Amino acid sequence: MATDRNRQAMRRILLPLLLTLAGAALLYGGGLRAGPYWQVVALTLAMWIALIQSWSIFSGLTGYVSLGHAVAYGLGAYLMATQFRDYPVWVLIPAGGALAGLFALIVAIPVLRIRGPYFVILTFGLAELVKFALLRLETALGASSRLLFGAPGTTTLLAWMVALAAAATLLRHFVGLSRFGRGLIAIREDETAAETLGVPVTRFKVLAFALSAVIPGMVGAVMALRSTYFEVLQVFSPTISFTIVTMAIIGGSGDARGPVLGALFLVGLSELLRGASPQLYLILLGLCLIAFVLFAPNGLSGLLDRRRK
Amino acid sequence: MLRRQLFGLMAGAAALAGISSPALATDPVRIGYTIARTGLFAAAAPSQEQAYTLWAEQVNAAGGLDVAGEMRPIEFVSYDDESDPAKAAQLYERLITSDNVDLLLAPWGTPHHLNVAGVVERYGFPMVGNTAASVMIREVQPGNIWFPTSAIPDQIGPALAQMLHEAGIQSVAILANVLPYSQENLQFLTPALQAQGIEILMSENYPPDISDMTPLLTQVRAAEPDAVLALTYPADAFLYTGQARELGIAPHLQFLLIGPTIDAFGKAFGPAADGIVTLAHWSPEQEAWPRARPFFDAYVARFDQEPDYLDSALAYMSVEILQQAVAQAGLDHDALRAAIANGTFDTINGEVRFDGVQNAITPTAFVQRQDGRMQLVWPPEIATAPLVTR
Repeated sequence: MATDRNRQAMRRILLPLLLTLAGAALLYGGGLRAGPYWQVVALTLAMWIALIQSWSIFSGLTGYVSLGHAVAYGLGAYLMATQFRDYPVWVLIPAGGALAGLFALIVAIPVLRIRGPYFVILTFGLAELVKFALLRLETALGASSRLLFGAPGTTTLLAWMVALAAAATLLRHFVGLSRFGRGLIAIREDETAAETLGVPVTRFKVLAFALSAVIPGMVGAVMALRSTYFEVLQVFSPTISFTIVTMAIIGGSGDARGPVLGALFLVGLSELLRGASPQLYLILLGLCLIAFVLFAPNGLSGLLDRRRK
Repeated sequence: MLRRQLFGLMAGAAALAGISSPALATDPVRIGYTIARTGLFAAAAPSQEQAYTLWAEQVNAAGGLDVAGEMRPIEFVSYDDESDPAKAAQLYERLITSDNVDLLLAPWGTPHHLNVAGVVERYGFPMVGNTAASVMIREVQPGNIWFPTSAIPDQIGPALAQMLHEAGIQSVAILANVLPYSQENLQFLTPALQAQGIEILMSENYPPDISDMTPLLTQVRAAEPDAVLALTYPADAFLYTGQARELGIAPHLQFLLIGPTIDAFGKAFGPAADGIVTLAHWSPEQEAWPRARPFFDAYVARFDQEPDYLDSALAYMSVEILQQAVAQAGLDHDALRAAIANGTFDTINGEVRFDGVQNAITPTAFVQRQDGRMQLVWPPEIATAPLVTR
């Protein structure tokens, strides 16, 4: 009995922890060793892992598909771009996360009253609303774009980003194991039934939504330092949200492995096909998506499970 | 794909086996750039890439690029940056560190330039920019990037106000896109108009994806301004011109910021595009620039369309500058940087010399389409025809 529990603890807690740390070390060390260009690729990979894991805390567990995560990313980036000259980076990165989390908390209350496809459209509309509102604000301030010179180098950013990816992975994993996470899964399976069984549905959804925005806010803050040029339209781009969902479909969002696999697959594919033809790349991507939805609805991680069984 | 790879493999094997062709005797100069082949700017970018293509073909046909005395063929390595400035920066890093290109050409647009500025600075890799204009370029540390344009908003505002004043314009209506370049221009134009005593009857902003300007244009018509100043991007320049015609808006003068220099604009509106004033500092009509007309003719012959008077001209100027600097200094980054920073270059737009990151010679200028020809109408020292008002 005792050994059984130990083994379970090992499988659920220690192993994921070690795997995540090993993955992070590999990504960081590998990126550093493989030369400047691969550092950038490693940074991109870590960025998507952090974003999809965070997205999956809410959308993967509850089944509510959010197309609004670009807002969290954008808010973090906006905070960094506007305050970069006045505050140190290590203050602004967590502050970006806090800002995104707070914003998600505020909008979650009205937004999460809505279910199904309407929710998806609402999150998308909200993201566009925030983007254009900030564009107006920037116009009114007479600062339609900004330059950021003197940001830390790629290696520093890579360290931050790998740490965020690892944190998001562990957060996703442990939330999935927790009572809170099981409540979220119950909401995904049948919201009404979950409510009757005593799951505090609204509170859980709001919390998960806010929690899933924190790390993307920090990711946005770090990525703002990657570019020397900042423009609202760029960092609030809906492409960010779409890519998150695409990678989550390909990788599968049933557990913490899926986002890693999805990001690896898509970043790898784009690197491989970059030289060939960008049009071909987009067409192949479309075919992949269709294939995954048809033949592997649970994504790459679902495929792995099936093989094991 | 596969066939091309196989072919490449076979060619490689043949070269290894020593059956190499004489073309391999001189290594090509590998020149890298990214361009927006897909995405938001995909419609605007060809006018720049075509200028690059034309230049490479001309240079190769003439025996190659003069690299400090040695003639070597040009080979391009290019990627699609998907209109994403962050991706452009990433790909320039790839061009420099992984593809090991010898030279760099610029991507399309201000955001891309300013993002790539950080990369070329990091690697100390000199690159002559072209299609970027913003007061922010002055914040860029001089060193590895230069901007040959003279279309900088804080110079455009006063120049435009002065031109309008001298043309007897007393009142204007302003419409401005909310995107950065339009807004920067608005910021400097408003006080400049006031300083010239020109009355601003209305000044309205509109979103970048506007699909109907009729409500705004009805206001413009009611205000009866002497001139309409539309601070447009290409898409809304077409929208404005079409709808203003439908509503019968015919002030003494119409100025559009970006758009009318594109070949498609002239084709879309034909004679109705005549009289529209816009931003550009180059025209083949200027005989004092002997390289201008041959470039125009070669471009039209090669692509069956007119070059963009702003973007194609700037792109071609940037490669002319690079070519002359490479002839003098070769490919060494330090020598090349010094050659670009200190040299004076003979371009289709006349002489160019840099002071810091900026072109110190070419003045801020405006052009007007007259009888289907793009004429420089301001400033007087480079004008090819007088400004025509209705």
